[in-house]
Amino acid sequence: MHFDDKIPIYYQIKTHIYHEIIMGTLQPGEKLPSVRQLALDVTANVNTVQRALSEMIAAGIIDSKRGKGNFVTMDETKITDLKTQLITEQVARAYQQLHALNLSDEEILNSLKHYMTQRGNVE
Amino acid sequence: MTAGLTLQGVQYRHGMKTILHDVDLTITPGKIIGLLGENGAGKTTLMRLITGSAKGKGTIAINDATVVGERKQHVSFTEQLRGFARETRVDQVVNFYRDVYGDFDFQRYQDMETFLQIDGSLKLTSLSKGMKEKLIIALTLSRRTDLYLLDEPFSGIDSMSRKRIINSILQWKPDDAIMVISDHYVSEVAAILDEIVVVKDQTIFTHEATDTIREKYDVGIEAYYESLYEKGNDYD
Repeated sequence: MHFDDKIPIYYQIKTHIYHEIIMGTLQPGEKLPSVRQLALDVTANVNTVQRALSEMIAAGIIDSKRGKGNFVTMDETKITDLKTQLITEQVARAYQQLHALNLSDEEILNSLKHYMTQRGNVE
Repeated sequence: MTAGLTLQGVQYRHGMKTILHDVDLTITPGKIIGLLGENGAGKTTLMRLITGSAKGKGTIAINDATVVGERKQHVSFTEQLRGFARETRVDQVVNFYRDVYGDFDFQRYQDMETFLQIDGSLKLTSLSKGMKEKLIIALTLSRRTDLYLLDEPFSGIDSMSRKRIINSILQWKPDDAIMVISDHYVSEVAAILDEIVVVKDQTIFTHEATDTIREKYDVGIEAYYESLYEKGNDYD
């Protein structure tokens, strides 16, 4: 995994795993690799991976079962909420950047629609 | 009992010249530390003080062991394979380690030898720089102990070897052990470090958690490290 040196590593690992859950690469109820295996997979240290996991456990997205390991939550509402949250974050970022260019809401909406049509033409 | 590595009021002089002064440092178990500083800043000296091969003033403790003889059992440091004749074969060096260190885990060494593609039949004199570093890593990590010191393990080696060395560190460092990796170029290891310790002006100039640096100052570790050498930085 390629890390951005400016962003806390535990945060990037968390985001990476959240994306895998939302994309369905990691299914509800699926067991995660061991902490050390995860550390090797992403090339980060065990403590950093542990911190990322602790935050995901606290958020209820990962269930930690003593002696058995860590599992993606079976609660699909939580995954839907997580998806909504990530979408909102991405949209908010794009919206704020366009808003900073003094675009009105209508102009933002139109430029997004325009982009989507153009993009379709290119493909 | 104080677990981890503790240095208090450590000083080291060479003749009339002060190399290190007022060194106070506490590292908790399990951490991977980047020991940074320019060439000649005193990084290797600090490692040699920790192992006891250099003698200075002050107190150094590894998991409460303060006496040099006792401390040596808690620390694994392979100083550039000094003391071996150039004609010595790699497997002879390994046998020496097995004889001398009761905590040397030969199975572990063999796993690393395979992973790092080390050829035991080669003579030390015919090892490339990268191969020598790989051997040093394998020997150092094969001991089961509390503190591992790696002195510039990435100097002059190619990126594939670097990746394998980083992978070995992540794979074989015991959970509670401390690993100190010195380097004068941080970007190659920044992602695996818990904390950085910067040796500058003959002392510990900075000691901070890497993710704290990223969160607090919104900069990368390399940029932060470089800024310490510019006048008027804002990170005081």
